Amino acid sequence: MIALENLTVRFGGIVALDAVTAQVSAPVSGIIGPNGAGKTTTMNVISGFLTSSGSVTVDGVDPMQMPPHLRTRWGLRRSFQREQIADDLTVAENLWAIADNLAGSRATKRADIETALEFVGITAIAGKPGARLNTFERRLCDLARCVTGNPRLIMLDEPAGGLTVEETARLGDLITAIPDLGRAQVLVIDHDVDLISRICRETLVLDFGRRIAFGPTSVVLADPAVKAAYLGIEADHA
Amino acid sequence: MRISRSGLAGLTLAVIAVLVLPMAAGGQWLKIFTSTTAFALAAMGAGFMYARLGMVSLAQVGLMGLGGWITLRLNHAYGFPFEVNLLIGAVITSVLGMVLALPALRMRGLYLALITLMVAGGLEVIFTAHQFPNGGAGFWGVGTSFSATMRRPALGQSDESFLRYALVIAVLGFLLIDAHLRSRPGRAWALIRRSEAAALASGVNVTLYKTWAFGLSGLLAGLGGGILAASLGLLDAATFRASESVLLFALVVVGGARFWLGAVITAVLYRVAPGLLNNWGVDADLALVFFGAALLHAVITAPEGIAGQIFGLFKMEAANDRA
Repeated sequence: MIALENLTVRFGGIVALDAVTAQVSAPVSGIIGPNGAGKTTTMNVISGFLTSSGSVTVDGVDPMQMPPHLRTRWGLRRSFQREQIADDLTVAENLWAIADNLAGSRATKRADIETALEFVGITAIAGKPGARLNTFERRLCDLARCVTGNPRLIMLDEPAGGLTVEETARLGDLITAIPDLGRAQVLVIDHDVDLISRICRETLVLDFGRRIAFGPTSVVLADPAVKAAYLGIEADHA
Repeated sequence: MRISRSGLAGLTLAVIAVLVLPMAAGGQWLKIFTSTTAFALAAMGAGFMYARLGMVSLAQVGLMGLGGWITLRLNHAYGFPFEVNLLIGAVITSVLGMVLALPALRMRGLYLALITLMVAGGLEVIFTAHQFPNGGAGFWGVGTSFSATMRRPALGQSDESFLRYALVIAVLGFLLIDAHLRSRPGRAWALIRRSEAAALASGVNVTLYKTWAFGLSGLLAGLGGGILAASLGLLDAATFRASESVLLFALVVVGGARFWLGAVITAVLYRVAPGLLNNWGVDADLALVFFGAALLHAVITAPEGIAGQIFGLFKMEAANDRA
């Protein structure tokens, strides 16, 4: 379970996250909201790129106590809005770049990488250099990086950006299957409400840094305050 | 362990150079080729930092001067064999390179380049003010009326054998870089170059690996400086001016920062081209005009440099070659 308690982030005078509290327990959950709502900010706090007040715990462990780069070893993975594949490394080497920083023997890491490649279905292109991957392959490689090792929390920031409907559907199936792979809980940010409602059991809705709804996805999406935030209609948030 | 086609070509060229070059070259050219080898080491250091981490170091020739200074100083102060002096010089240069990395951890792009240029300027002032040790007394070790001998390695007493010796050290330096690029540091650097946030989110200790890169680059510059010192016996402050560091970096871009061949081309342009012009009775400064044109060519049409174009010609998978 991921527990956000009074999470607050300020950039100067701007409050990017305003006392957000949520107990996320579904295996795959979503964070949605209009642009600038604080979705990526939430992930950046958990990654350790920003300082915040309040707390985040994952299964009772507080990853905020660790320096950012050690959170990966503990089990945090994330993708970014732009895929982050190193062009001069092959697909397998891109996975190695994460496995390098995990605990375990070389043999374990090699096995982990093979499992991740197979899970995502990109074993056939393991030797292909990053520079020659197409958009979908890059997104898949990014996902494979996230499931490498034995992650506890995977955060995907718009994982389906730039993909076609068919590709998004395939990616959605993969994300849904991640919790069966091990112990990982998945958080997904996306603007594609169809994708979110298909793969996420719980969803947190943010607007202007505040939580405006949280709960089972279908209930949340039917909430008038959520509709108002998306359609820009004035509504009573309280 | 895979050996790429370009790597095989490099090792073949190195063997030919070790066997043939010292015999083919005579007189002045032996020293020119030895200093070309020394500068190739430094160019490789600047090249891998630029191509693999996107960091511009404009202090590489200055750091060579530092390596040379320490090697000379140790030579005149103690009776260590050349190898020990060379290694200590290279290691201290490497440590200074890491100190240089401290501001680099916060700055990038133009600002980082400016910091390294300031270091190059500072070293130039020190070298010009104090000159290089020649066996005199005191810390700076500069005497006015004499010059003590710079000992060479047992295996490289003559100019011919010292050129061979320098070439072997350069090959070892290139292999050291290649070994890094093929393993954990290379992967970490590739992520850092993609984005520091992505590297951090992948668990890469960005501070450690950036510092390491500066240290490795400094090590190669220090080795180059030590070799230059032993080849010439005495160093001159004019060799290590800040402008030389800038010129070397420009030529790294022309040669092709990603490839071993790029470092060789850089050093050949830097050292051999002016020598050739001299031989033909043309003013060596004319080389600067060619370099300017070559830099424009590289920036406009050949982002991978001349080495990238050559490898592209032979289809050596330029996109995925490591060194």
